[in-house]
Amino acid sequence: MAPRRDPNEKALATLSSVGVIAPPPIQVESPKFSGSLAALFVCVRDRKVDLLDIPLFPICSAYFLYLAESEQISLDEAAAALTALAYLLERKAWALLPVAEPEPEFDDPMELMEPYVHEFALAIEQLRTLHEERTHQFFRPQDAGPDPYELPYTLEEIEPADLARALARLLSRATPEKPEVLGGPRRSLTEQMKLVLAALTTDWASLDSLVKEPFTRQEAVWWFLALLELIRLGQVNVQVSEEDVQFRRKV
Amino acid sequence: MAANSDPKANIVDSLEAILFVADSPVALEVLARELGVTQGQVSQALEILAERLHANGSIQLVELAGGFQLSTKPEFAELIGSFLSPQRQKLSRSLMEVLAIVAYKQPVTMGDVEKVRGVQSDYSIRALLERRLIREVGRKIAPGRPVLYGTTQQFLHQFNLKALDQLPPLDSVTEEAANIIRHEGPSLFD
Repeated sequence: MAPRRDPNEKALATLSSVGVIAPPPIQVESPKFSGSLAALFVCVRDRKVDLLDIPLFPICSAYFLYLAESEQISLDEAAAALTALAYLLERKAWALLPVAEPEPEFDDPMELMEPYVHEFALAIEQLRTLHEERTHQFFRPQDAGPDPYELPYTLEEIEPADLARALARLLSRATPEKPEVLGGPRRSLTEQMKLVLAALTTDWASLDSLVKEPFTRQEAVWWFLALLELIRLGQVNVQVSEEDVQFRRKV
Repeated sequence: MAANSDPKANIVDSLEAILFVADSPVALEVLARELGVTQGQVSQALEILAERLHANGSIQLVELAGGFQLSTKPEFAELIGSFLSPQRQKLSRSLMEVLAIVAYKQPVTMGDVEKVRGVQSDYSIRALLERRLIREVGRKIAPGRPVLYGTTQQFLHQFNLKALDQLPPLDSVTEEAANIIRHEGPSLFD
């Protein structure tokens, strides 16, 4: 282990690892480390090598040889080397002392910063290709089922006008409705449907006979809407009788 | 041509008839049950049907979303595309991103998706739910019990996949990406 000038050490010579001035290029050769004194200093400082595995005596000898053999010693360089050696010796001394607790482990290296959607980039492209290919194939469309706003079946001879007449007749019997109390509970169509179903029997009955007086125009409309919904759901049958329509609970 | 008195006598024709009226993929076991034959017999008959359709006509047999279905051949795509309306909507880049993340990491919460993307993704999740490409599959046992999402049969159907294990493997994709980066030359950190 002797001081020698290595062209590769030029960078370390110009850029000090210890301070402003770089130490002389003392080369360290050991089974666990190979490099300059400056590099060893940096590695020990950054905990990249275990100082316990590196004998310091040959390095100190090399330093004394450097002092003895060099004709023109730079005091700054020599001081920098001494500082580095002192640091290494102190660190090793502390490392050799018994410790009550093991040294804390250092945190794991930081994981890749998120987001990492780029990992899916090629998968997305492949899916896009599959999707594009798929658009060239056409399948029998799925049946969406009956439109809930359409009657599920025809009422045969029953015309909308028949139903309209039944409603008009009922409305003509309605008394003026009471002024609505603000904030009062609102009746739901489901509740009205239950009420209508309770009033219906398996015998045919006209709308006029179903709704008991007195009733308001609003109540008449609710009755009519509930009957329409029950017809749509197939729970009420309807037929034309003379000039009126009649309803009954489905048998 | 007179119809065969026993429709199950000719399994291939029977399969073709069932698949013709089916509006979604029919599983092998369902076909076997309907025809009263073994699944092996159905598989053989499907192969014959596929070859027959491949040789002639405009219809082909497709295996996707866990079953079999008939579709038009790709060469008629333009004709049928102009005949049908409205045109199909393509998936935007952001929808594809979210869909891919859900597909590969499912079951996954919206938070997980946003963690990967680094941007808010509630719109995309909602849009994919509306298109029935993803669905709620449960709730994560975590504070707030967030909804877990997974892909649907419709997703498999739309991407011509038989099952989820047919997704392009993400590892090889990553490796492929690494190769591309390697071949692009030295980077800033080289």
